Amino acid sequence: MNTLELAERAAAHAGTRALALVTHERSLMLRFAASRATQSTGIDDVTVEVAVPLRGNVGRASTNAVDDESLAECAARARLAAQAADAARDGSFPGFDPDYDLAPLESFDAATAELDPARGGAALADAFAEAGAHGVEAHGIWTVAEQDQAWATAQGGAAERRTDAFMKVICIAASGRSGYASQTAVAVGELSATALAERAALKASAGGDPLELPAGSYPVVFEPQAVGWLLDLLGATAFNGLAHVEGRGALVGRLGEPVAAPAINLSDSPTSARTLPRGFDSEATRKAPLPLIQDGIAHGVAHDVRSAALAGASSTGHALAPGGDPGGPLPTNLVLAGGGARDEGELCSKVERGIYVTRLWYANVVRPKETLITAVTRDGTFLIEDGKVTRPLRDLRLTDSVLGILSHTKALARDQKLTSDGEFYGRRFAYGVVCPALRADAVRFTGAAG
Amino acid sequence: MRDLLADLIDSARARAGYADARFVRSRVQRLSTRNGTLDQLSSSESEGIGVRVRVGGAWGFAAVRGTDRKDAEAALARALAIAEAQPAVPEETPLAPEPAAQGKWASPVARDPFEVPLEDKLAILLAADAGLRTEPGVKLTLARFSAFQTDKIFASTEGALCEQRITECGGGIAAVAVDGDSQIRSYPASHGGHVAQAGYEHFLSLELPGHAPRVASEAMELLSAPACPPGRRTLILAGEQLGLQVHESVGHAVELDRVLGREASYAGTSFVPADGIGSLRFGSDHVSVTADATNPGGLGSFRWDDEGVEGRPVPIVREGMLAGFLSSRETAAEIGLERSGGCMRAEGFERQPIVRMTNVNLEPGDAGSLEDLIADTGDGLLIETNRSWSIDNRRLHFQFEGEAAWEITGGERGRLLRNPSYAGVTPEFWGSCDAVCSAGEWELISLLDCGKGEPGQVMRVSHGTAPARFRDVEVGVA
Repeated sequence: MNTLELAERAAAHAGTRALALVTHERSLMLRFAASRATQSTGIDDVTVEVAVPLRGNVGRASTNAVDDESLAECAARARLAAQAADAARDGSFPGFDPDYDLAPLESFDAATAELDPARGGAALADAFAEAGAHGVEAHGIWTVAEQDQAWATAQGGAAERRTDAFMKVICIAASGRSGYASQTAVAVGELSATALAERAALKASAGGDPLELPAGSYPVVFEPQAVGWLLDLLGATAFNGLAHVEGRGALVGRLGEPVAAPAINLSDSPTSARTLPRGFDSEATRKAPLPLIQDGIAHGVAHDVRSAALAGASSTGHALAPGGDPGGPLPTNLVLAGGGARDEGELCSKVERGIYVTRLWYANVVRPKETLITAVTRDGTFLIEDGKVTRPLRDLRLTDSVLGILSHTKALARDQKLTSDGEFYGRRFAYGVVCPALRADAVRFTGAAG
Repeated sequence: MRDLLADLIDSARARAGYADARFVRSRVQRLSTRNGTLDQLSSSESEGIGVRVRVGGAWGFAAVRGTDRKDAEAALARALAIAEAQPAVPEETPLAPEPAAQGKWASPVARDPFEVPLEDKLAILLAADAGLRTEPGVKLTLARFSAFQTDKIFASTEGALCEQRITECGGGIAAVAVDGDSQIRSYPASHGGHVAQAGYEHFLSLELPGHAPRVASEAMELLSAPACPPGRRTLILAGEQLGLQVHESVGHAVELDRVLGREASYAGTSFVPADGIGSLRFGSDHVSVTADATNPGGLGSFRWDDEGVEGRPVPIVREGMLAGFLSSRETAAEIGLERSGGCMRAEGFERQPIVRMTNVNLEPGDAGSLEDLIADTGDGLLIETNRSWSIDNRRLHFQFEGEAAWEITGGERGRLLRNPSYAGVTPEFWGSCDAVCSAGEWELISLLDCGKGEPGQVMRVSHGTAPARFRDVEVGVA
């Protein structure tokens, strides 16, 4: 399917100020549980979105049909929506302002785009074998996808091909203890099922009875996967330009001020090869690096065209839908700079008694303006004593401010990892956070979990 | 389309022990206003075919857009190739027997929401939005309308061939007051409002403009309200908050795929054992829960689930004891149930059916009205609208926060409190339930974004509840 040609045909039906965005997903996902294949899903689908601006409002429509009649009908629905919006006050949407020149990105891998089920089946077999060698069972997913995306206006358009690959393994021992490992990449060849299963199995089979810690504040070493969760939530509460301009964001009145430890340097780096790169957003705005926190100082927020207009700024290329998603713009290529610690072991070495967290789960924002979140630890929570991981812990509930945790951050590991949860709701939008492990003091836990 | 699906199924018989095919056409319309201007006005339409096959115990599923015969045949071939490429499954569990689904069904609709002019819907939203902007401290106002229409045709190698049309419609409003702190109030529920399996008449019945000034006023009041103090209190849950409590700590906990460990990689497992029917105490004698796919208006209602099992009421908890599970044909057979609970649902054509909630309802008790229950409660808290929720992967330890709480003092509803959080452990919490209001208070609430599955699927579900009281609950935890 030629997505650019399809976008141009859709745009031609929609008028001179309209934008058409086409996303073609081809994906394959294999699930497994208890070292058995359970479910598998192959998808081949396209979404054509047409957005028509009129008097500062935007009417939108979408279809997955690609014939001219359907495209014309979709464009007509978008126009009708825009005309109906005349009943509202004039909006603030200034119109689309696409960048027609895109630099090539390292976002595509041909082997991944083959979506080879045999390759996935072999990965599952490797994971089962490794888990079996450790006396545990493997659960998880292996998934690959190609996403061809294009946009067009009456003046022209652009297209981009991306691939992504993800595998996670959760090993569960007969004791019920579990361990987690995952890997995210543009290229499926970077996934190692055996290595992931080994890492997860070692955590699941760590010796010692789990200790239950009482609620309280503890020093914590977070693995990159857990740091990624925290930063993802920070993206929603602090860097959402729409929430910021509406006075609801956590950085309202705090830009230019210290909000985290001086070692914290956080940016959105959408074109970096270490992320899952994207050249443009859903409004055809070119993506570019965006500093968010520099040396602990709040520097900026992410905008789409709508939030930028409300703020008197320019879009930073973070739209999630043409005309702006109701939830606002978000950074989807966060990168947290590494620090000086060699690895997680060195981070633990400074902890007299604390908690080692592999990952967080079921995180939810409690009070966005405070960046207060709650989540539970899962699949690898351990006690740190006298600088070393000593025994498993029963899982705990963390309830704390993300900016608070970043303010209490004492050290970061040198190496960063591309982390992702591999959650693919709706049309596949693979994204991740590049971050190191870190150690923070006085992280608040409010009870037991699991 | 019926012929195409039948042909696909005929082709599948030669290579698969079981196969089904679903054609799904989906229409969605969303309108929302934000601070008096248009926030979103979008309509989406999609259609396609999903084919599911079982080869030697391994499942394969492939989906393709559109209705082209060649594409559908390619999807079948892809599903077979995927199933055959996976490591062999040691033993194949038979599927629980089920009569072949035949016929047509449509959910009742008085007025098709897609036939109502956009201008009419927008006028109501703008009127509600204006009503929310009557308080100067309210910085964000939202009014929403949404409508969904899903047409499905299902066929299987066991002779099923059935059609359904499901129409859903609803909306809601919210006001966010900001003054250093930020507080939100919603009506009739947070997280998108209230949606029912009904037509435009349901949206009109919500009377959003009439409730807007009160919602804005309460958002403002919350800014200066005292915070919910920590401690152990008697708690009355009502409306959306009680529905969400049922959803997270009962509904998900009794999904049989979780119980059997099939969802350990994502949604998690469950503290409920597979052999717990009749022996696991889930709550007090006041707690009876039924999963009922036949509730009029419920978002979990249908004639047949997405593997052709007819919807019916399934007892889940009876007087505090575990009585059943939410199940599929495969999981039901695995624990020796005679029949699937009919809980397989898929989000659209490009997702395969997985075990989901239907309408998981807390049965009414005999505590009278909400005002009767408040009067019978010396001191405590009342929470009815949710703001935040989280529960662990075994569905055991949870922590919720409402938008607001009313303090109950001397049997009367008193002052408003902000940030009312509470936490508990599922069987202890339901064990502390000592009263449920009577049938006159029972109503269905809706949850619009229940996530589960890989790739992820969002499902809309309803929960019937009447306000209930829980003793000695830890509050003020966040």
